[in-house]
Amino acid sequence: MSKLNETDIQGFVLRGYNFPLARYLFLELLEPEATQAFLDALLPSITTGQHWDQGKPDATINIAFTHKGLTQLRLPEPSLLSFPVEFLQGMKARGGVLSDTDRNGPEHWDEIWRDERVHAWLGVNAQCEEALDKCCDEMRQLAQRTGGAKIIGWQDANALKIDGQWSSKEHFGYSDGFGNPDYIGFRRTHQPGQGKLLPDGTWAPLATGELLLGYADEAGELPVAPIPHLLANNGTFMVYRKMHQNVNTFRQYLEAKGRQYPGGKEKLAAKFVGRWRDGTPVELSPDRPDPAIANDKESNVNFTFGEDQTGARCPIGAHIRRTNPRDAFGFETRLINRRRITRRGLPYGPYAPEDQPVRDDEERGIAFMALSASLARQFEFVQQQWIEYGNDSKLGNEKDLLLGNRQNGGRFMIQGDESGTNPPFMCGGIPNFVELRGGDYFFIPSMTALKMMSTGTVDPR
Amino acid sequence: MPNQSGSVYGLTLLSPIIGDPHAPVSHDLQLRLILGSMPRDHESPFAKVDSTHMCRLTVMNDVIYVGMPACEEHLQLQYLVFESNFDGDLETYLRRMAQQIPETVDAVWSHCLGYPGVINPDAFVAYMKKCQVTTTFYFADVNDKTVGQTLTALQTQSAVGAFVERNAGVHGAPLQQAFLKLMSDLREAPAPQPGSGREDANLCAVAGAGASSIHE
Amino acid sequence: MTNITGKTYAMNAITPMKPWKTWLLRTVFFILGHVASLRNDLVNLSFIHFARWVIIPRQGFPHVTEDQPYEQLKYDYLLFFSNFNGTWNQYIDAFSSVLSNGLNQIWRWSEKFPGSVPVTPFKQYIARVQFETDFYYTAYPHAATNDVKAAHRVTDALHDFERQSAAMNPEQFEKAYQSFLVKVQRDLGSTGMAPVGT
Repeated sequence: MSKLNETDIQGFVLRGYNFPLARYLFLELLEPEATQAFLDALLPSITTGQHWDQGKPDATINIAFTHKGLTQLRLPEPSLLSFPVEFLQGMKARGGVLSDTDRNGPEHWDEIWRDERVHAWLGVNAQCEEALDKCCDEMRQLAQRTGGAKIIGWQDANALKIDGQWSSKEHFGYSDGFGNPDYIGFRRTHQPGQGKLLPDGTWAPLATGELLLGYADEAGELPVAPIPHLLANNGTFMVYRKMHQNVNTFRQYLEAKGRQYPGGKEKLAAKFVGRWRDGTPVELSPDRPDPAIANDKESNVNFTFGEDQTGARCPIGAHIRRTNPRDAFGFETRLINRRRITRRGLPYGPYAPEDQPVRDDEERGIAFMALSASLARQFEFVQQQWIEYGNDSKLGNEKDLLLGNRQNGGRFMIQGDESGTNPPFMCGGIPNFVELRGGDYFFIPSMTALKMMSTGTVDPR
Repeated sequence: MPNQSGSVYGLTLLSPIIGDPHAPVSHDLQLRLILGSMPRDHESPFAKVDSTHMCRLTVMNDVIYVGMPACEEHLQLQYLVFESNFDGDLETYLRRMAQQIPETVDAVWSHCLGYPGVINPDAFVAYMKKCQVTTTFYFADVNDKTVGQTLTALQTQSAVGAFVERNAGVHGAPLQQAFLKLMSDLREAPAPQPGSGREDANLCAVAGAGASSIHE
Repeated sequence: MTNITGKTYAMNAITPMKPWKTWLLRTVFFILGHVASLRNDLVNLSFIHFARWVIIPRQGFPHVTEDQPYEQLKYDYLLFFSNFNGTWNQYIDAFSSVLSNGLNQIWRWSEKFPGSVPVTPFKQYIARVQFETDFYYTAYPHAATNDVKAAHRVTDALHDFERQSAAMNPEQFEKAYQSFLVKVQRDLGSTGMAPVGT
């Protein structure tokens, strides 16, 4: 396969920067000529996938567009119409597919999302507050000077600082950030368990085309992509979702059920997700968290479910088993390989220590992003079939405990065994722990595509 | 036997549709209108012929041209396709159709060539058999349970799930009492109606509150 | 007109075959009928309730009255009827990913079949040879085949448990109940509506 041209791909696609702070600016694009000038001036600052051999920058900048944004830029009609249907419709219109209804419905979203006003996402990640503010100021000035864009909103996000240290925890107390897939051609440390499972039991990276347009994918073809090639290649799609977390409700539920559950509260929390709250995979250590495993890159994503068909170690409906079933459905991972997503994002809102009171209506949650070559086949599929439904896991209509959008309670069965220390346990009356507050579908263009967009030279024929 | 898998029979019928150029509305279109408005839930005629697991009726207009270098060709007539998966043998099923849903059968098959009506069941059965084509390869995931057994099993599963949820944390004698009540409720519960999708509904009414996440 | 009732999708497809190839297909079906592997894979994939293939030789269209014209065809036809769970895309994606060999053996004899891998031309072919369902009934619309199988397992386990525990005291009963839970713990999902088609 062809070697990746890292300078042509936006850095945000190729790596999670691991910076503790971010501000996602949401832009309305104005007159096309002014916007082109804005893009043109912005281009030199966009962070590419080039390796940071001279040390990390203080801040990074990346940009992505909704279909409305591309339309505002006056890309030619044949190009605009060649984008996949779900991207054309936008996330709000896909609510039926995603179960973004009732409490997750657009009437509860922040106004910029509810009214579908966002044309572009400008993602700024930074090592410290000063760098973040400085960079965002520069963006603001650039937008004003060129008259090409207006900042209509933003989302601050930050790693949770616990005991003075940046952590990888999110607000329910779980260490997060595991499980991103491994793709052919990506230069990063390969961890066993990230990619696909081969018949001989070893792991191999996924085809590049599962993330990047213009490369062969797992189905043995080039992924469906917009025209022209130069607009699509080295680009990808992103879903952005602002996911509010009802931290108080979660803590109460965990406390209450944790008192009933023979294994105790922490083990119950581990069974919900499939990882102990320190990140140890339950599959590798079912009885206790194990920092040695949790911190070991060779181990912490290196497991399969094939030997755990009963779910006695990791419950069949546990969050990570739902979102990446690995070999749980048989046929190695062949039914899963085309359903993987690359996650980015950070929590938002202040950290609330476990022993302090907390309210659901305080602004806390995750600014969630997922990247994939196909929104419909990858993100939407996982959301619709594996989170909001359970037939593939043979769980009928049961939804994911953490993310499920339930109207009247719900059940989560923790499978067990007859050992006496790991009994079956059913959790009922599950409230909604997470609520959607907005988001949309974005296209992250390559540097070449950005140049073409900024010079008005996108030509589909 | 290719039409059969275990205790389930796979019937495929192709009945030629009357082609009358003088009819104000062609027979195939009339058929589509009738089929389009036929109830599909517990009021469905096929819920009455309750040995039916699943069935479909559709008008097959023509064969399909797949493109060069394949040749283009056409059927002289259109066919009504009836694909059914049911318990028991063919004769019994066809006779039940004639006996239990004669109006539906008439309404549908009166648009087909050579249809003799249901007044004479023997003639009807003979006609349907003439329309039958042999299933070459038949797959049934569950081929040893009747419709009734399946509906009761779904009702049971729903009740057990609700029971387990309701009694999490209940022990000893109260648990055993509750279980005995569950079993007697299940025995008394009316058989679920085919086509309704409400296998749990009857038991809920009998057992009282507690069931969650069952309904849409 | 609708292809979907509850959780189940009724797919119909018709493909033309050169008559000399029909015999090869019949052989394939004969072998498949006697070799467990395709049936096993279908059972393991577990999203088809019932499916059938019907070969209609060019002179095999039913002829019911004397004055009915005979069909004048060059090709034999392969009809396919499936009752499956999941969306159209999901169904075809799954087959293309794990059952491509079996599918190829069955459909390679049909004109212009592009192969079941890669998936995009395969989906285009199916879209072309598929025809709609006017009326579709299922006795258990809110149950996928997974739900049906789980329900039967739960019912069997429940009756076994009832029998075994009939004479037990509460302490023994509770122990037996735990064993019963372990038996049915993967089979207690609820039934209901299906996600919307995509």
